[in-house]
Amino acid sequence: MHLGMVIDLKRCVGCQACTIACKSENGTPPGVLFTKVLDQVAGEYPIVKKKFVPVLCNHCQDAPCVRVCPTGATTKREDGLVLVDHDKCVGCRACYVACPYKNRVFLKKGALKTGYFGGNQMTPFEKAKYPKWQEGTVVKCTFCVERVDQGLDPSCVQTCPADARIFGDLSDPNSKVSRLIRQRGGYQPQPENNTEPSVYYLE
Amino acid sequence: MAQALFKQKDYWVKSACKMCIHSCAIRVHVQDGVVVKIEGDPNDVNNRGKLCPKGQSGIMRLYDPNRVKTPLKRTNPEKGPGVDPKWQPISWDEALDIVATRLKKIRQEDPRKLLVSINDFHRIHLWGWGAMFGSFNYFSTVGQYCGAAYHPVNGTLDGSFAAVNDYAYCNYWIQIGGGDGFSSHLHVAGSIKRMAEARVDRGMKVVVVEPRMSTGAAKADEWVPILPGTDRAFVLGMVHVLLHELNIYDAEFLKIHTNGPYLIGPDGYFVRDPESQKPFVWDAVAGAAKVFDDPSIEDFALEGNYTVNGVKCRPSFQVIKDTLKDHTPERMSKICTVPADTIRRIAKEFGEAARIGSTIVIEGKEYPYRPAAVNYYRGAIGHVDGGLDSAALKLINIIIGNIDVPGGHIGVGLDHRLLLVEPGPDGMLLPQPHILHPPYPFAGKPYSFQLMEWYPIGIDPGHLSADNVLNPEKWGFDFKPEALIIEHSNPMWNLSATDKVMEVFRRLDFIVAIDVVLNESTEWADIVLPDHTYLESHLLVDIEPPVITGHVYRRPVIEPLYDSRDASDILTDLAERIGFLPEWNGLMNIKLFLTGEYQLELNKKYTNLEMMDRMARSIYGPDKGLDWFQENGHATRYQKPEEMYLPWKGHRIPLYFNFFKEVGDDLKKKTEEAGLDWDTSSYLPIPVWRDTHPLHNLPGEYDLYAFAFKETLLNFSESTTIPWINEAMNNIPIHMGVLINTKTAKAKGIKNGDRIRVQSPFGEVIGMASVIEEIHPQVIGMSNGISRWANHPVEKKTNTHFNRLLPADVKWTDGMTGHLETSTKVKITKI
Amino acid sequence: MAKTMPLVGEEFVAGYRLQTEWATLIAAAFFFGKIGAGLFLMSLFTDSSVGALVGLLIVLIGKGGAHLLYLGRPERFWRALTKPGTSWVARGFWAMMVMMVSGALFLLAEPGSGVWWAAQIIAGVTAFIVAVYDGFLMNSSPSIPLWNTAMMPVLCLFYSLLGGTSLTLFLVDFGLTTVTIEETLLSNLEIILLVTNLIVVILYLLSMTNGTAAAKESLRLLLKGSFAPAFYILAIGVGLVFTLFMAYFIGVAGGAGVVALITLADLIGHYFIFFLFLRAGVYAPVLGKLTL
Ligand SMILES: Nc1nc2c(c(=O)[nH]1)N[C@H]1C(S)=C(S)[C@@H](COP(=O)(O)OP(=O)(O)OC[C@H]3O[C@@H](n4cnc5c(=O)[nH]c(N)nc54)[C@H](O)[C@@H]3O)O[C@H]1N2
Ligand SMILES: Nc1nc2c(c(=O)[nH]1)N[C@H]1C(S)=C(S)[C@@H](COP(=O)(O)OP(=O)(O)OC[C@H]3O[C@@H](n4cnc5c(=O)[nH]c(N)nc54)[C@H](O)[C@@H]3O)O[C@H]1N2
Ligand code: SF4
Ligand code: SF4
Ligand code: SF4
Ligand code: SF4
Ligand code: SF4
Ligand SMILES: [Mo]
Repeated sequence: MHLGMVIDLKRCVGCQACTIACKSENGTPPGVLFTKVLDQVAGEYPIVKKKFVPVLCNHCQDAPCVRVCPTGATTKREDGLVLVDHDKCVGCRACYVACPYKNRVFLKKGALKTGYFGGNQMTPFEKAKYPKWQEGTVVKCTFCVERVDQGLDPSCVQTCPADARIFGDLSDPNSKVSRLIRQRGGYQPQPENNTEPSVYYLE
Repeated sequence: MAQALFKQKDYWVKSACKMCIHSCAIRVHVQDGVVVKIEGDPNDVNNRGKLCPKGQSGIMRLYDPNRVKTPLKRTNPEKGPGVDPKWQPISWDEALDIVATRLKKIRQEDPRKLLVSINDFHRIHLWGWGAMFGSFNYFSTVGQYCGAAYHPVNGTLDGSFAAVNDYAYCNYWIQIGGGDGFSSHLHVAGSIKRMAEARVDRGMKVVVVEPRMSTGAAKADEWVPILPGTDRAFVLGMVHVLLHELNIYDAEFLKIHTNGPYLIGPDGYFVRDPESQKPFVWDAVAGAAKVFDDPSIEDFALEGNYTVNGVKCRPSFQVIKDTLKDHTPERMSKICTVPADTIRRIAKEFGEAARIGSTIVIEGKEYPYRPAAVNYYRGAIGHVDGGLDSAALKLINIIIGNIDVPGGHIGVGLDHRLLLVEPGPDGMLLPQPHILHPPYPFAGKPYSFQLMEWYPIGIDPGHLSADNVLNPEKWGFDFKPEALIIEHSNPMWNLSATDKVMEVFRRLDFIVAIDVVLNESTEWADIVLPDHTYLESHLLVDIEPPVITGHVYRRPVIEPLYDSRDASDILTDLAERIGFLPEWNGLMNIKLFLTGEYQLELNKKYTNLEMMDRMARSIYGPDKGLDWFQENGHATRYQKPEEMYLPWKGHRIPLYFNFFKEVGDDLKKKTEEAGLDWDTSSYLPIPVWRDTHPLHNLPGEYDLYAFAFKETLLNFSESTTIPWINEAMNNIPIHMGVLINTKTAKAKGIKNGDRIRVQSPFGEVIGMASVIEEIHPQVIGMSNGISRWANHPVEKKTNTHFNRLLPADVKWTDGMTGHLETSTKVKITKI
Repeated sequence: MAKTMPLVGEEFVAGYRLQTEWATLIAAAFFFGKIGAGLFLMSLFTDSSVGALVGLLIVLIGKGGAHLLYLGRPERFWRALTKPGTSWVARGFWAMMVMMVSGALFLLAEPGSGVWWAAQIIAGVTAFIVAVYDGFLMNSSPSIPLWNTAMMPVLCLFYSLLGGTSLTLFLVDFGLTTVTIEETLLSNLEIILLVTNLIVVILYLLSMTNGTAAAKESLRLLLKGSFAPAFYILAIGVGLVFTLFMAYFIGVAGGAGVVALITLADLIGHYFIFFLFLRAGVYAPVLGKLTL
């Protein structure tokens, strides 16, 4: 099994529901975004094109972040998920700079102290979610491992109103993701880096 | 039952979203009493598991530490933007007592001294609280900023409240000034899904006409940039091409389903049979006039000039064609800046895509198949002459025969009643311009500050209230407002001419607000009463779902966090204390569709929970009370083909909007008799371009058009208090500042990030320039995301509030519908 | 006409993104690592035990300290030894540890003894690794084309040697140590290294002009953009040109003051050039080119 995601740029409407769904699933602190949707504008008025490009950790199969990690905190699972064991991470951020997609985030000291409303106003939601994270370590998209292990789609996929994110088994030629990649010429981001991303884009 | 649920450690519970005016079905995950996740309910047919970003962020509304937690009393008498009211928590009893005492006194003296601002879209049944109190004032907007020029036209056309193109069958979708399927308007979450399926899976072509590259325009096959307030010119140019150059129109449809063949005399009225008073049509085969329902008619003439009983007349189709003869693409192009060739090309593509003559069989029944349609909303019609804009946008659909047929432009009901199809005069549908509340009876002397009595088709032009409060002599008001009640509304933000509105706030003696988090307006309150949030309250909701019908059930997913109460209960309580409980219960009986044994006794007080239960049983049957909904979640279903397609039960819909003319002429007579100088010139049966439009006649120094817009992230601007939304918004260029085209900015020496002054003839704002490529060079755009200034600590206080630039008087109001002109012209300078 | 993608910060816009995570402290760690290791190597070469000790201390305290300060979880630092098989951080860390132990042994052992010889060889090799591994570390980030070049370790080596030489000269001129080679030889070496470094830097920058768009963007930032003043004045001007000028025209003859000035200038240049290489690192846009 090789889990992966296909992102259909034709469908994506840049609504950022995925961005927020990820926040709500993972309870990440302010400034920490495991996924977001970028605007990409080309041309000059009146011939202008605008694309919305969702980005997240690509769960690369030859992941530089795994390679450079000195502690073994970042590892790749059998099913392709690249995960960080926060208990092992020393916060050296070698992975951070090595990720060609800049998809990692370092939790600074104090990152888990205030919550989104500031002051001493941590919400019950944040109090419930933050124990999952550790200050001083590097975090990133987990492909919603807890959900995926229960056979559910990741949160960003689940909510996407346009069904622009599709999750599935890349090693199964009959899965929806494999078929879409085949039929619509799905491509990986920055193939020149030979990182073998598990995320594919469809134009 | 709820209590048992809340005792569990870990549960999912179904409810309904309320992060915008719509109502997607949700499921909520609660662990150890804390809401940890909100998701779309995958089993619901409406949003099918999907939520938009606002829906995803409900947790941060529920747990916002800035929520109103108890009733509050202001102790700082000084009021103003940024002023700390020095709230003092008080008991419910004390708070209700203060409010009831004040309002009771007003009610006894003159109930018209109360201004009312109740906007809760989920609880439209609360809107009439003011009227039951005895005040017909409306000091807010939900109508004149968006739907005044839209809903009445929909209602007049086919008994609908809104409309949207057919996601399932349309192949060529033109979208003008609306966000359906991409970013706003009807049920965004489900609509984005339907639109994506149509675009990508079925290859539907989308053309978006917008002054800026909206989300829809970005996704469209073609973006047609246009000047604000000129969409009617674009569309009428297309109609001209279809009727005069290409000869593309659905004759069959017009003959059978519209008043297109009805003969119109020189006075613009139907030519009638003197005996039966029925309108005449011309039978082309018999070469004679016959009444429209004469079974012997062989062929309805749509064209030609005839003389019947000595009266010169033409079929209304011919009148329309003749009227629009001079609306050539060349002339229209000069108005709207869309090249004439583009108008021609799109008209041709549209006309061809309509496949006039083709049919489709759905569930065994054959329907006309017209897979091309023009969809539109606020941007296109939010203007003086917006009624005509709206009528023009209907016209282009009607002539290709796509109204309420597969692939076409489909009416959407306000609620589970769907389209209100009732027989009207002359073989036509009964016009339903007043789905929200009945019209106000005409009076020579005004009795509502918004002058609703002089807009017989319109929707409360609440923006006129401020002008009339400040200048009572203009229309002869002899009473003054003293108090204001606000529920789920932000009039200081939502109304135009913000400075005037603020001045009215300043003059009021007493303001009471029912809210969950304070906004620009409710910060000025003397007493604040905390409402439950949606995750803490019960409601059956059903608002404008396209394709779907039925109610979703909103229910508490946890115990209320604070000492809040349901707004319905608060308003019932106040009605009782002030002394109009019977009137209030009477209103509830109508507005909640209560029938038979479920009707409320007028003198008894009912809780919201009881009322909702009665509503459920009234609509769904005795065994479907709230406990059924608790068990089953929702009562939503796809509309049946016969509910969506050709639902008019044999009645005709207008091609020629005779109703508008009739109402206008009647109003003209009444106002003249009352000695009023009132302009009724826009009550036209046929939409035409009118060069008199004030927007396009402002002094030349105001060289740029300006407008405001919503996107998926935003519910108006109120979601900016939600930090997740705010965080995303602060990183997206279109929500970072005032949008200006690169070339325009360059010509004015303005760079990205520069502070600029934006001045209209009516006001000015300061903002930051966001220089982008994807906007018409003669236009600037302002996201609602940059418009706030309330004390809430999360939202960024840019206060670049577009409405400050808008006027708010009768001149700037659409005569026919009461719609405000929501664009203006500005000059900008770097500071 | 397609415009080039913008350089963006955290906003949700596709474009080139600056590397911001490795800056002051990592630059300091690299700096101390290189000059410390360089000094240690020079000291082995010139037989200066004081130099060797100072070199060790610079690496231990300067580099080790900067790394510890930088780590998000310093108390777990030892975990960074786990994966030398793939990670240059782990390799560097190992090299540094071994260098410390063997260097200490080398200083403590009887000169000429077997332990002394063995320790010297091991310390020399690991010091060499400490001197150059930053280069490999940076090179192993495929993400940042400015770093992802075989020139990086070369640059590190030459800068390390230059730093070592300057520091040795400094120690000698201030009478803190004696060396077994002629001082003029040392100062000539310094001049040669300065010239070499200048050439290597130029070659490196030239190689970037054929690089990817992100490399060019980095280059633009360094040579024309916001980092240019610091690059020209501190990294090149002070660090290489001024030092070369001083070393060539005045040199050790100018006395301790001049040597101190040269050393200081050299170190400033050294710190800033790597600091700027770190800061000017640019990631390519996630989805390559703009298309219409
Ligand atoms: N996400 C979201 N959905 C919503 C709401 C919300 O706040 N957020 N609010 C609900 C309510 S009450 C309403 S009224 C609807 C509003 O729904 P829409 O009408 O779809 O939304 P708006 O953004 O107000 O206006 C639509 C578009 O008109 C464009 N526009 C402005 N002026 C002109 C013009 O003169 N001509 C043309 N062609 N375009 C113009 C703007 O750029 C904007 O993209 O949405 C409802 N649904
Ligand atoms: N500049 C600009 N002005 C506009 C528009 C625009 O797009 N741009 N849109 C116009 C349109 S189309 C409309 S319909 C109006 C809408 O204008 P409003 O109806 O005023 O809009 P909202 O922001 O939805 O609601 C107002 C307030 O309701 C409160 N609220 C939120 N949830 C709850 C709740 O659960 N209970 C209670 N009691 N209160 C709650 C919040 O304080 C919120 O600020 O604005 C119009 N004005
Ligand atoms: S939720 Fe889907 S459509 Fe919306 S931005 Fe994310 S990927 Fe795009
Ligand atoms: S995208 Fe970056 S963080 Fe994710 S696996 Fe690839 S290299 Fe690692
Ligand atoms: S920061 Fe943590 S996960 Fe990243 S490389 Fe260092 S130890 Fe590994
Ligand atoms: S897969 Fe999960 S963690 Fe990753 S971006 Fe999506 S929601 Fe966030
Ligand atoms: S469209 Fe409205 S009701 Fe649906 S999820 Fe979004 S905010 Fe909630
Ligand atoms: Mo609205």
